[in-house]
Amino acid sequence: MNPGVAIAALAVVSVATAVIGFYGLRISRTTGDFYVASRTVRPWWNASAIGGEYLSAASFLGVAGLILLSGTDALWFPVGYTAGYLMLLLFVAAPLRRSGAYTIPDFTEARLDSRVVRKVTSLVVVVVGWLYIVPQLHGAALTIRITTGLPSWVGSVAVVIVVCLTVVAGGMRSITFVQAFQYWLKLTALAVPILFIIFVLAGTGTPALSAPAVNPTGLASSGAYQNVSLLVALLFGTLGLPHVLVRFYTNPDGQSARRTTVIVLGLLSVFYLFPTAYGLVARMFAPGLARTNQADALVLLLPGELVGGTAGDLLSALVVAGAFAAFLSTTSGLVVSLAGVISQDVLGGEVGGFRLAAVVSAVVPLGFAFMTDSMALAGSVGLVFAFTASTVCPVLLLGIWWRGLTDAGAIAGMVTGGLLCGGAMIAGALAGAANLAPWLAQPAAWTVPTAFAVMVVVSRATAHRIPATMARVMTRLHTPERPLATER
Amino acid sequence: MTRVRVTAPRSAALPAVESREAAQASEVGQVFVRSLIRSQLRLALVVAGGFLLILAAFPLLLAVVPGLSETRIVGIPFNWLLLGAGIYPLIGLSAWFYVRTAARNEARYRDLAGDQ
Repeated sequence: MNPGVAIAALAVVSVATAVIGFYGLRISRTTGDFYVASRTVRPWWNASAIGGEYLSAASFLGVAGLILLSGTDALWFPVGYTAGYLMLLLFVAAPLRRSGAYTIPDFTEARLDSRVVRKVTSLVVVVVGWLYIVPQLHGAALTIRITTGLPSWVGSVAVVIVVCLTVVAGGMRSITFVQAFQYWLKLTALAVPILFIIFVLAGTGTPALSAPAVNPTGLASSGAYQNVSLLVALLFGTLGLPHVLVRFYTNPDGQSARRTTVIVLGLLSVFYLFPTAYGLVARMFAPGLARTNQADALVLLLPGELVGGTAGDLLSALVVAGAFAAFLSTTSGLVVSLAGVISQDVLGGEVGGFRLAAVVSAVVPLGFAFMTDSMALAGSVGLVFAFTASTVCPVLLLGIWWRGLTDAGAIAGMVTGGLLCGGAMIAGALAGAANLAPWLAQPAAWTVPTAFAVMVVVSRATAHRIPATMARVMTRLHTPERPLATER
Repeated sequence: MTRVRVTAPRSAALPAVESREAAQASEVGQVFVRSLIRSQLRLALVVAGGFLLILAAFPLLLAVVPGLSETRIVGIPFNWLLLGAGIYPLIGLSAWFYVRTAARNEARYRDLAGDQ
């Protein structure tokens, strides 16, 4: 495609992000504004912002690419990403909002009355956040390389710079507006080109390929174990994502946290129809895109491939803008929540510290991104979900629903899950994707139950350590907010 | 314009929350709280279990009924329609049912706890 058009699209998204960030700055003045938008964000805004933050490079580029490569097996990715939000609604949304904590470490400290648990949780959250930013930067590098011909690092560096500027300038209040804008941008950027493509294909009567070509790579389908393990990772991993959780504190109460989550589920369901459509259309009309070993770029290349000309260039520009919105929004959401954790636990909790922490949270993963090679985006994000599901998810679920959880149990479970899943990820990276046993490629099916089991067994063995504040905290988590006196 | 400087930790309990807990510190209050937690957990598990069962039934259906995955509707293979679009209404329905019932559980708790 035309590099000039792509660069213009990138510039427009970056400037729009900065402008909305600056607009937010004028009403963002207190520490509360900085961290959680003073809890005054309306449900639709909030839901759009959650959707904008959640839909990352993996959703925008990776899912379609993976569907092109492995067909119906890859359909479990969008299903899992959405169903993960259902689990979040069922088990976490309202109690977490009612806990009154701002971050996951705040929650574990309050629930288990232990500073050590807080430190361990903070460490895990920072690792999860950094692991999750890296694929976003890989996605940006890929997009820049494919669409402009510039060196890959330009993309990653551009994302880090725009994110740092936005977060340092406005904090979360402006972030909420930026994220909400970026959800609708991402949806438009996927929907308009694919609808146009389908319209053109139908108008010209282009014949679809016959059945054998519908599997372009001839890859054998993955086994039932891999699909189940992937679903475990996605269903339980969403619960523990730090940038997703921090959003719930911007709801006024638990019931509105639930309502927001239902709107988010609707927004995600609509969104994921489109990557699926890209994958299917590419399989039927342009399977050649799978053979160039750059399936992740499918969404970027399809308009040029099937429409071409000026219309193709314009549609490509729109897709590039949407892709960049995806990298920017997820990265800035992660940076805000990581900066919240780092500034509180390392730097003492003032706005100045928050700014410094934001820069640190964005620059460290940039280093990782330079050192590592990009793998399939949806796959590497799937592994981050597995890690979250093995560490943060058990402590949240048991902390909210089980009175017997102790600090020792929480720490033992998080460390076990983190070591097992992290070990599997490192072993997988060393062995290479080709000759990897299924249980190493998708570790969630055994690491998540193990983490839960360790947490329960150790808590049982240390039952005398159940904090004295437990009954009070459980009451706070589960009882509705309205004071009883005003009820009658 | 005034700037406010706030120091750590931000997790200090909110005043309104304290009174809510104090009202339920009695033994009877704790019985109500426990029963609320149990009914909310049961509801969440039932909805999650039902959803996962139906989710598991989709690939089983495709495997058991031969020729179903080759059937095309408006040119789109049926298995793609089922997994790519058919699951989302199911998710929405589960979410709607859960939110309604969870709010009802809380209303029942309010009635009970208010009677003390």
